[in-house]
Amino acid sequence: MQKKIPINGGQKKAGSLLMVWCLAVPILVFGADEQRVSVLYAGSLATVMENGLGPAFTKATGYMFQGEAQGSLGGAQMIHDHLRSPDVFISADPLVNTNVLMGPKNGNLVKWFTIVASSQLVLAYNPHSRFAAKFQDAAASKIPWYEVLETPRVKFGRGDPSIDPKGYRTLFLFNLAGKYYHRADIPRLLGDPMNPAQVFPEVVLMARVESGQFDAGIFYKHEILAHHLPYIEFPPEINLSDPRFSDLYAQETYITPSGQRVTGAPILFTITVPETVRHWDAALAFVRFLLSSEDLLKEFGFGIVQHRTAGDPAKVPAEVRPLASGVFKP
Amino acid sequence: MKRRVNPTFFIFGVLGGFLFLDLVLPVASLFFGADWAGWMEALQQPAALQALMISIEASAISMVIMTLLGVPLGYLLARAPLPLKRFWICLVFLPMVVPDLAAGILLLKTFGPYGIIGQPLDAKNISLTNNLAGIILAQLFVGAPFVIVSALSGFASVDPKLELAAATLGDSRWHIFRRISLPLAWPGIAAGLTLAWIRAMGEFGSTLIVAYNPHSLPVYMWVKFESDGLNGALPAAFCLVVLAATAVMSSMLFSRITGFSDVVTPFGKAAMTERY
Repeated sequence: MQKKIPINGGQKKAGSLLMVWCLAVPILVFGADEQRVSVLYAGSLATVMENGLGPAFTKATGYMFQGEAQGSLGGAQMIHDHLRSPDVFISADPLVNTNVLMGPKNGNLVKWFTIVASSQLVLAYNPHSRFAAKFQDAAASKIPWYEVLETPRVKFGRGDPSIDPKGYRTLFLFNLAGKYYHRADIPRLLGDPMNPAQVFPEVVLMARVESGQFDAGIFYKHEILAHHLPYIEFPPEINLSDPRFSDLYAQETYITPSGQRVTGAPILFTITVPETVRHWDAALAFVRFLLSSEDLLKEFGFGIVQHRTAGDPAKVPAEVRPLASGVFKP
Repeated sequence: MKRRVNPTFFIFGVLGGFLFLDLVLPVASLFFGADWAGWMEALQQPAALQALMISIEASAISMVIMTLLGVPLGYLLARAPLPLKRFWICLVFLPMVVPDLAAGILLLKTFGPYGIIGQPLDAKNISLTNNLAGIILAQLFVGAPFVIVSALSGFASVDPKLELAAATLGDSRWHIFRRISLPLAWPGIAAGLTLAWIRAMGEFGSTLIVAYNPHSLPVYMWVKFESDGLNGALPAAFCLVVLAATAVMSSMLFSRITGFSDVVTPFGKAAMTERY
């Protein structure tokens, strides 16, 4: 026979606390803020977005900024597979939009995009590397940069061409350098395109160079400025930054392990409001903010380019049109 | 006769049922609308098979190392008159609460080419990262605590009177360990090993940093997810779930056959018995 145990004061208090908790948690967990913009952006922009542009946007407009860094291709795949529904999508490669998100076969998830800025590849090195002096000499143009990389035991890394545009852009960079310096052995510094000793995902590569486990790595300039590492710049003929050398860049091609053919092109970041948008006003405010923040973008290491648009011109929001000009053909 | 449901069981059933669904539904969703033919084809690709083999190889080696080194450590922590024993035990638990990515960075700083241990070896052209050794190091870091802790509690739960009796009969410490403590503690250790194996097979975050290449199955899954999206990743996810399920099943079967049932499995005698 069960006996009813009287509930004492402590248990009552605990019971009411539990009640309050049960009521409060759903608000905390499921509550949404209409005054925010969710931005899915290319991984290399993480520091720039979270510490620079995001807070600046909030300060300028009052909207909350909620960012998420993903590889450009991976992020686009997530939108395509309905795993993410951002208000704004920023990609490190215009092709990601056209290949994964635009057109009927991709569910027309993106109907237009605008070029925001350009970036360039640089060779960044760890200032505490035992080869730091050599890298410094190269930065001061006393010796060519490729001679430092040829030094035995120098460890340098690069992005993975199968998942990261920076990965195949690095292949293009070294091929272009081979021709530019008339040194056929420069591309050979990389070994196989997927050379396991060099190839890493973006975040891991940065961790390796910053923690001093790698001497150097190929990065975008804006990443390096954000991480405060010393770096060596390449000439515009090979660093994939300058639309004037588009034809030269376009001589390089690479076929990814999943069979996609990619061609050399200037490094351009694009912005769009995909059809998954839920906070339309905030999304437009963010696009407008980014397209009119040239000084801020320059400060973070980006190149300023014409804001050309691609896709269906009729779908470009009226609020964005005054800030864009020209047509971009991927 | 109509059986009445005990109200306590009923309420606990409702409460536990929610959590149970939360655990089971995501795994079950893997099988809703599964593209079996496509998955089988994807898993037969050389890169997928290689990733599977790498994961099996690395975890097999990890298991041997964890058993050979983890069981003695568990025994020491349970039985040896160590100073600051609780402190050492706390340290063993630490890897369980370190986030995967942090673990990867810490491992890299230790075993990387310019790490405390990695650098002298690197000078001799021995690398501990970005190869099978790196994967094993990551697996050990996340898996070994399960083995040590289960061995520790297994040995600690052995009645000291049994060991004392053997000692008074003149058995050496080694004999007592081998003939009394280890057999009695083994069911718990076996459970710990199963958990450690599953944890090691699924290890992703720190492996990504310490050994991106050669791809283990979880890293391969992520690479496919990044390059080909959901359809690229699901076959590997399916493979990992099947492997984990196989491990749990074999562990249950093993304990059923050997009679060590109460610790590892709900199928055995002890758990089947209705106590009241």
